[in-house]
Amino acid sequence: MGAPRRSSPMRLLFALCGLLLFLWWMIQPSSSPRTLNINLPDASQPTPTAALVPPKKAPKIVNISMNNLTATANPLKNQEKLLILTPIARFYDQYWQNLLNLNYPRNLIELGFITPKTHGGNQATVQLQEALRKVQNGAKKNRFAKVTILRQDFSMPVGQSEKERHAMKAQKDRRASMARARNSLVFTTLNPSISWVLWLDSDIIETPPTLFQDLAKHNKPLIVPNCFQKYKDAGTWKERPYDFNSWQDSETALNLGKKMKDDEILLEGYAEMPTYRALMAYQRDEKGDKHVEMQLDGVGGTALLVKAEIHRDGAMFPTFPFYHLIETEGFAKMAKRLGYQPYGLPNYLVYHYNE
Amino acid sequence: MSLPTSRHGYSHSSNGSANGHASYYNREDSWAISPHETRFHPKYRKSAHARRRLIIKLVLIGVAIFGFALIVSPSIRFAIFSAVGLGYTFYKDIPGVEYHDLSLYQGTANGWTRGERILFLSPLRDAEAHLPMFFSHLRNLTYPHHLIDLAFLVGESKDNTMKLLHELLNKQQSDPDHDQWFGEITVIEKDFGSTIGQDFSNRHGFAAQGPRRKLMARARNWLLNATLKPHHSWVYWRDADVETAPTTILEDLMRHNKHVIVPNVWRPLPDWLGNEQPYDLNSWQESETGLELAAKLGEDDVIVEGYAEYATWRPHLAYLRDPRGDPDVEMELDGVGGVSILAKALVFRAGAHFPAFSFEKHAETEGFGKMCRRMQFTVIGLPHYTIWHLYEPSLEDLKHMKEMEEQRIAHEKEELAKAKEKAKEKARLEEGYDIKKDKDTWDKDQKEIIDAALKEKQKEKSDKMGAMPAKSNEEEHDPTGRKIRKENLKGGREGPIAHVDEAGVGVITTEEDEKKGHIIGHENGRVQDSKAKSGKTKERDMKASEPKGKGVKAKENKNPVQPGKNKEAVFAKN
Repeated sequence: MGAPRRSSPMRLLFALCGLLLFLWWMIQPSSSPRTLNINLPDASQPTPTAALVPPKKAPKIVNISMNNLTATANPLKNQEKLLILTPIARFYDQYWQNLLNLNYPRNLIELGFITPKTHGGNQATVQLQEALRKVQNGAKKNRFAKVTILRQDFSMPVGQSEKERHAMKAQKDRRASMARARNSLVFTTLNPSISWVLWLDSDIIETPPTLFQDLAKHNKPLIVPNCFQKYKDAGTWKERPYDFNSWQDSETALNLGKKMKDDEILLEGYAEMPTYRALMAYQRDEKGDKHVEMQLDGVGGTALLVKAEIHRDGAMFPTFPFYHLIETEGFAKMAKRLGYQPYGLPNYLVYHYNE
Repeated sequence: MSLPTSRHGYSHSSNGSANGHASYYNREDSWAISPHETRFHPKYRKSAHARRRLIIKLVLIGVAIFGFALIVSPSIRFAIFSAVGLGYTFYKDIPGVEYHDLSLYQGTANGWTRGERILFLSPLRDAEAHLPMFFSHLRNLTYPHHLIDLAFLVGESKDNTMKLLHELLNKQQSDPDHDQWFGEITVIEKDFGSTIGQDFSNRHGFAAQGPRRKLMARARNWLLNATLKPHHSWVYWRDADVETAPTTILEDLMRHNKHVIVPNVWRPLPDWLGNEQPYDLNSWQESETGLELAAKLGEDDVIVEGYAEYATWRPHLAYLRDPRGDPDVEMELDGVGGVSILAKALVFRAGAHFPAFSFEKHAETEGFGKMCRRMQFTVIGLPHYTIWHLYEPSLEDLKHMKEMEEQRIAHEKEELAKAKEKAKEKARLEEGYDIKKDKDTWDKDQKEIIDAALKEKQKEKSDKMGAMPAKSNEEEHDPTGRKIRKENLKGGREGPIAHVDEAGVGVITTEEDEKKGHIIGHENGRVQDSKAKSGKTKERDMKASEPKGKGVKAKENKNPVQPGKNKEAVFAKN
């Protein structure tokens, strides 16, 4: 210690550090929950839509008949509405371009996005804003009917890489939180006019432009194409299977499930837990018919077409082990419990981004 | 900006600087009053001054960096904006785009002060009869109406539900009192093609429970998914057939700040059933027996509470009610009933719903409770906070009530007949005591009898002169089968009573007794034998008004059951 003049630069430094810390805190996402326990925040902001005084004019009474809502093999003919849902943690230009290339009329398409409370999520939101501004301010016929962007009310658990030792546990938390994001998205955006829901991950960068029509043509309650990834090997582009969550169940897996505790999950792609399920990713026949169907017991969520009524009946992405399954795999199981059979198209490909 | 910024943001900036300054000056002041350090004073002042300038400079630089970051990096700008709840401004200018930060719609204990919106959901089916009552409840709600969004699902109703609903809604929304207006109102029509009737005993029969609950679950999910918006903080489920509920129910339940909360549901009963009864048995805590039972059942079986078929021994919310208990007492639940559920919207956003399949051997609201527990949400019931469900008599009750009604009517009829009889009796008595009339009658009768006797005598005399007619052994059957001797048939049917001059005149016997020589009565004080009394009296009473022919007999027996009166009449005459 010494004279104040000597200590003062230190204090100033502290002050500056404080300011920077404050800024850092402002930008950083809250870092609490590692598990799915929902800690209720003492949210103190008034809700933006809250009009604390009654409106000047009474809102209208909306009457909707859902008896005539259809989801058929020819959606365009019936002018059926499509809701495309994307949990978006990173914004890829290719994803957006691919989305814009879909040739179903945009006035029949609604979009829904949900972003995590992370720096990446914020960035994605901003990029999305730019992209949307261009489209929605453009020609009327090119505008999407409606776009909803949500920001999660819970935090994603920490990344998997930090917890190598508990990879499976981390996987469970990550997928549970992913499931919760998906549920939050679908159950707040599924308005009564929607016939179809297309789940399209933000890292799906290449699909046929007729993706929706092609999948709808099969007229299945739940249908999933095969998700591959393109990579460069020795200068040439090659393809490899990417999504292993679409499968047919096996005896081994079922027996494994029987031995497990209620809160444990069966995961695909872990050597320590071989399930011997028939994975759709490996069923592809390059020369085969693109529209060959196969029945599935678990589905992946990278690209997934669902008739809206399945969600309306209650089928959701379990955030807890449901028959030892979670997220999209659990969703397929729940749809089956509700009496809907999921299908897959092993020869119909969509492509995942390659880091 | 019309909206206040967050307390979060405020508190940090203001508290931070305030504390900083305070500590700064305090330190320096204590420094200054120290007597040993006086020689540093000038320097101190100078350096403090310089330092203050330096601080200002640094703060300015900080602000500049901050501002620069805001301008250069939109994502930092967005982070800061969204941290204070203004993220939506980013999308304000883009047509057709909505932005919602779900963190703002988590629901708090006093949501009405923060303008939290409630989605008020009611599945309706054949509910015409209950709608006016339901709307009176709506009108009385104290939660700000414009923060309540109403949504109804109308199933295949055979009655006038739809029309009446629209009528009542229109009336509500055109109320001159603007505070009565509700927020967005949605009416969804959807038929699920059910075959199960909605009347009480159909609804509550054991076999119908599984499929019925699954169907109800679907209806609830459709209603919820079609109307839940990102900006809802709470979801309230309410049946149309609640008869009595506190007007503050929304606030009362919200105050507990739980994920899912239900009140106790009872129903009033008619007196003959014991006045009141627990109604909703779907709110319960899981028991060992329940779990054991669940383990034994098949995958698609559904346990329904409140039926003898599945004895689970679970503690029910309904049975734990103490009418004088503290209404704020909470109890953890595993299954909930659907009459009145308040839940945070985030519960439904997270994916909890009403399973339309057997989820852990439960469906619909009970399955919802189970699922919420599985998702680590708090599920609470209030045992001493009671709302009252409408009493709808079951078919059995109706039958019983019909029987009771019939009994009542029969009883009334009986009473009426009795009263009539009594009145008649009274009138007759009064008539009977009309002495003058009796006397006249008697006089007339007497005269007739005497005339007849005289005639007889004369006839006898003339007969004695001639041959005796052979009539003594002739017998005849009267309609009652009694044998009557034609001989001496002069008086009433009961026997010869008008042989005034003869031996034994005035002595009355029955036929049998006469054979044996018994006398059972006397003319003026005769007690009729029972057969004659019950069988004939009325007939004769009716005939009494016939004036001619058998007038003697008829009049003789006019008042046969009042021997005393006759006697009196005789006395009067004498």
